[in-house]
Amino acid sequence: MKKLRLYYEEHNKGPFKLLWKHFSQQHFAFFGFIMLLLLLSLAVLTPFLTPHDPYLQNSQLLLVPPSWQNSGLVSYPLGTDDLGRDLMSRLMAGASYTFGLAVLAVLGSLLVGVILGALSGMSKGVKSSVFNHLLDLALTIPSLLLAIVIVAVLGPGLMNTIWAIMLALLPQFVHGVRNAIQQQLKQDYVTAYRLDGASQRQLLLFVIFPNIWEQLVLMFTMALSTAVLDIAALGFLSIGAQSPTAEWGSMIADSLDSIYLAPWTVALPGLMIFITVLAVNLVGDGIRVAMKKRREN
Amino acid sequence: MMFHYLLRRMFLLSFVFVALTVFAFSLGYLFPGDVLGNFTGLRNISPAEEIVLRQQLGLDESYWQQYIYFNQRIIDGNWALSFSSQQNVLDEIINVMPATLELASYALLISLVVGIPLGIVAAVRKDKWLDKLISGFALVGYSIPIFWWALLLIMVFSLTLGWLPTSGRLSVLYEIPTFSGFMLPDILLSNVPYSEEALFDAIRHLLLPSLVLATYPTTVMIRFTRESMLDVLEQNYIKTARAKGLTRLQVLYTHGLRNALLPVTRQVGLQFSTLITLAMITEVIFSWPGIGRWLIDSIYQRNFPAIQGGVLVVSSLVIAVNMFTEILHTLLNPLARKF
Amino acid sequence: MKSFGPFAAVFLLSIANSACQPVLPTTRVHGLVYCAEGSPESFNPQLVTSGTTIDAISQHLYDRLLDINPDNGELIPGLAQSWTISEDGLTYRFLLRQGVEFHQTRYFSPTRTLNADDVQFTFGRLLSVQHPFHQTATEYPYFDSVEWQQLVAKLVVLGPYEIEFTLSKPDSSFLSTLATDFAAILSAEYGAQLISNSSMADLDQLPVGTGPFLFRHYQKDVLIRYYRHPKYWRQLPAMEQLVIDIVPDNTKRIAKLLTHECDVAPIPRLAELSLLSQRDDFVVDAQTSMNVGYWAFNTRMPPFDQVKVRQALSYAINKSNILQAVYFGQAEPANSLLPPNSWAYDKNLNIQRYDPLLAKKLLAEAGYPEGFQMDIWAMPVQRLYNPNALKMAELIQADLAQIGVRAKIVSYEWNTFRRKLRSGEHDSVLIGWSADNADPDNFLRPLLSCAAAISGSNRANWCDETYDELIAKAVHTPVLEDRRAFYQQAQQYQAEQMPLVPIAHSKRFQVRSRNISGVRINPYGGINFTAAGKSL
Repeated sequence: MKKLRLYYEEHNKGPFKLLWKHFSQQHFAFFGFIMLLLLLSLAVLTPFLTPHDPYLQNSQLLLVPPSWQNSGLVSYPLGTDDLGRDLMSRLMAGASYTFGLAVLAVLGSLLVGVILGALSGMSKGVKSSVFNHLLDLALTIPSLLLAIVIVAVLGPGLMNTIWAIMLALLPQFVHGVRNAIQQQLKQDYVTAYRLDGASQRQLLLFVIFPNIWEQLVLMFTMALSTAVLDIAALGFLSIGAQSPTAEWGSMIADSLDSIYLAPWTVALPGLMIFITVLAVNLVGDGIRVAMKKRREN
Repeated sequence: MMFHYLLRRMFLLSFVFVALTVFAFSLGYLFPGDVLGNFTGLRNISPAEEIVLRQQLGLDESYWQQYIYFNQRIIDGNWALSFSSQQNVLDEIINVMPATLELASYALLISLVVGIPLGIVAAVRKDKWLDKLISGFALVGYSIPIFWWALLLIMVFSLTLGWLPTSGRLSVLYEIPTFSGFMLPDILLSNVPYSEEALFDAIRHLLLPSLVLATYPTTVMIRFTRESMLDVLEQNYIKTARAKGLTRLQVLYTHGLRNALLPVTRQVGLQFSTLITLAMITEVIFSWPGIGRWLIDSIYQRNFPAIQGGVLVVSSLVIAVNMFTEILHTLLNPLARKF
Repeated sequence: MKSFGPFAAVFLLSIANSACQPVLPTTRVHGLVYCAEGSPESFNPQLVTSGTTIDAISQHLYDRLLDINPDNGELIPGLAQSWTISEDGLTYRFLLRQGVEFHQTRYFSPTRTLNADDVQFTFGRLLSVQHPFHQTATEYPYFDSVEWQQLVAKLVVLGPYEIEFTLSKPDSSFLSTLATDFAAILSAEYGAQLISNSSMADLDQLPVGTGPFLFRHYQKDVLIRYYRHPKYWRQLPAMEQLVIDIVPDNTKRIAKLLTHECDVAPIPRLAELSLLSQRDDFVVDAQTSMNVGYWAFNTRMPPFDQVKVRQALSYAINKSNILQAVYFGQAEPANSLLPPNSWAYDKNLNIQRYDPLLAKKLLAEAGYPEGFQMDIWAMPVQRLYNPNALKMAELIQADLAQIGVRAKIVSYEWNTFRRKLRSGEHDSVLIGWSADNADPDNFLRPLLSCAAAISGSNRANWCDETYDELIAKAVHTPVLEDRRAFYQQAQQYQAEQMPLVPIAHSKRFQVRSRNISGVRINPYGGINFTAAGKSL
């Protein structure tokens, strides 16, 4: 029931509530958001939720089809892979690798990017401009190339490729933060605060960051989709996650051998990656549209 | 002023290249294994050879001196040998580079030819069903993992229907001499009796990889063009033009396109780095003999000199393309010029 | 380029057409593409034993003095038209065929046909240290393992088409050795040309032979291209071109078969056999094959130098599990190195059973009640005798864990693997052997003799006088029954000492497009596409 309005009052919702209102009005974006929450909880709670041990091999139950086919079993709802491991449990476990680690990587990159971006954004002069351009150009090295180099130096492995992905994402954060800060610095209210006597630090913390947080969120989602795809791709190439780790990309690579007999072992992990990235992109698009709408009002 | 701008860009570019060569040089030390082996690519080095090589590389001198020698070798073309084939890494790269460039250019072409018009249509028909359809496709294409997409297409078109091949650039039965390294021109230039057959065969081999590689850039083009177009369409000068009495098409063509496509140019450059990553993955899946597959094979074989050379070449390419599109963008866009 | 319209139309039509029925362009009808599982190590069969290499080069580029009839395993004339054996069994005289032409390639033009000098050149390389090409190779693995150089005392040219071998002792397997793929006949004239050009390594890399195909081009790890030899002395091949496409990855190989990029693919994964045989456009050929897959212990490394330990390990593994999971039931369990269809097979051999309790007991008696740690080296590639060594290793690892032995699985890229294996770094290895002829000596000698331990094909590094004596006696006897008796004793001795655990004899499969004919599997040697034909 709608709130009863007896008196005429101006309801000014805070910026966050406004954003949320516009966001939640977009059905697809909201759906994507729910998906993300589900995936996040899956990533965290996986050890408690999986019906079977994702790493337990069972040589009696190799390549069991999903339960909706005749020869499938209900106890293995999505079937098993070529070593007899339950596919559903592995898919759930994969959430913590492909998605969970992507979130962590992007958070890490965001943190470092914010620090570096703030430093370069608040500074002026030739030094900062050189640093900025250097960063722009030099770090457009493709993420896969960075991963190859890091893996060559440190050896293959999931953690090593996480470093590569963080490095590859860094420049866009630094660039974005710097641009956002510089935009803010041109605003009148910042000058007002400065005249009031705010120090650089106070300016940064209390004036600038509250105004750029939504751009940060947008950058976060864009980087997240890239990160998930990169982790999966590196796992697929066996440069990142190594078998038997239940990362979705490396699961696809492992199951390629059985593609003719058991195409679901290849299709399902890919589907999970697709759904995850789609959800992230839906949320990202939704936020962008919501921001635009809020600005227009 | 233009000259000054270019000069500043060139200065920056050289600075970045210096940083890149420093990075490549340091890889020789960072990679596991024997430093001498990593820099030269030779496997079993006899003690006598070792003394000579150590002197040539300056391994007993300062790092700065070694770096100078390293740069000298790069410029001379005297690159390290690949661990696996014992051929000069530069020669190998020159052999495989055209295949990647060919694939990437066809993919880029598809993305421009398909993506930009679709983006414009979506912007013009904003929020109608056509826009929703196009934007929906773009979102799906943007989110799909490329290797999974490639596998799906292979499963349908190659394995089930048998229409298209799964690997390589050309059927092994055709012997085409190499002129440029680009397959289609090479077939046309050669005078083998079966050049027509070979041409059809080459196109069949190109179809799936280019489509797969083009998916991501096309969706980026669609989304970006749509955004850019929407921004432009809201501008006042568009409303003025409409008020003046120009039809929609005229407005679109005269005022809309030029302004909307400008940021797209910039975008192409920024996307190039992602395109290279995607091309590498595509090459592995389709066994396409380009630099991506070569580099990934090198990592599997722990072929460090090859990785060093490959990183140098690919990074230089990406940086050069980025710089080029930035200059192009500045040339075309009066607003971006700061002078 | 000319106008796009008709071009596009024809292009679309050709794609649409190929959906219904592969309409092959002219070039493709006259060329055969075979998808091989690996690159050849050399183009001279004298230098290798690897099945992949032999398949690629041997029957296509070269001929031998004798050949093996694939139907019954008997010896038939090859380049040797006829032969006589002396009463004492020590002298073999061969009469060579006349009018046999060598290959004409981009790097060699022959001026004469085959004669006895070529045979002397070929075998002189193995026998005589003074032969100019003897030192260009580090070893001749097959010949070394059967001690051929000690066996042949003299090789004499009697006339332009007559040559005589004199042996140091009688050997009933001598003719069989000459019929193996390794005994390919090379060109003496080509050798002379290479010496004068100082490019002697080319003998093994740019080959010249008398076989049905000649060498055109080789790109490492990519492809080998052969053209038809227009002057082949037997019936000319129907194919103008034979291309061997090198595809180590099994899934990609089958994929290439399904899209008709390959016409024939060997060693399909057994799991996919049923799938492939259901498709109308492909045919699966099966052949009982002379091969054995086994688990060899490095008997020079403790604790594998103790018989009890080896026996214990052999009781610990569940062979029927392996046969199901790895061979998908398409193999017979092995109790001996010899497959059941060999005439020297011992039916009365004890059948190895699965008995982990006995295994533990034996281990304790040997002094390892708590078990120990060991490596299992597993091949990364699929081979005829072992389609999935890594999986087999995992199964064995699980079995061994039950008796307290902790096993680690070790694998490398195939060529690296073979290299390291040669230097004896392994504890145990999963590997196997495919026969080169119908003679049991071909199994028992190259795998377990002392000479083979030196030459490398004896992966167990096992050298036992009793065993060597038994197999030596077997070849010295001309009477078949006596030979069989010796071989049975040898097999029983091997079962007692257990330097290796025979696991399975696999059937050999190959898949081809239905429009390919004349490519039957050769049970005794490398594949042969001479008679291959392709219809539209």
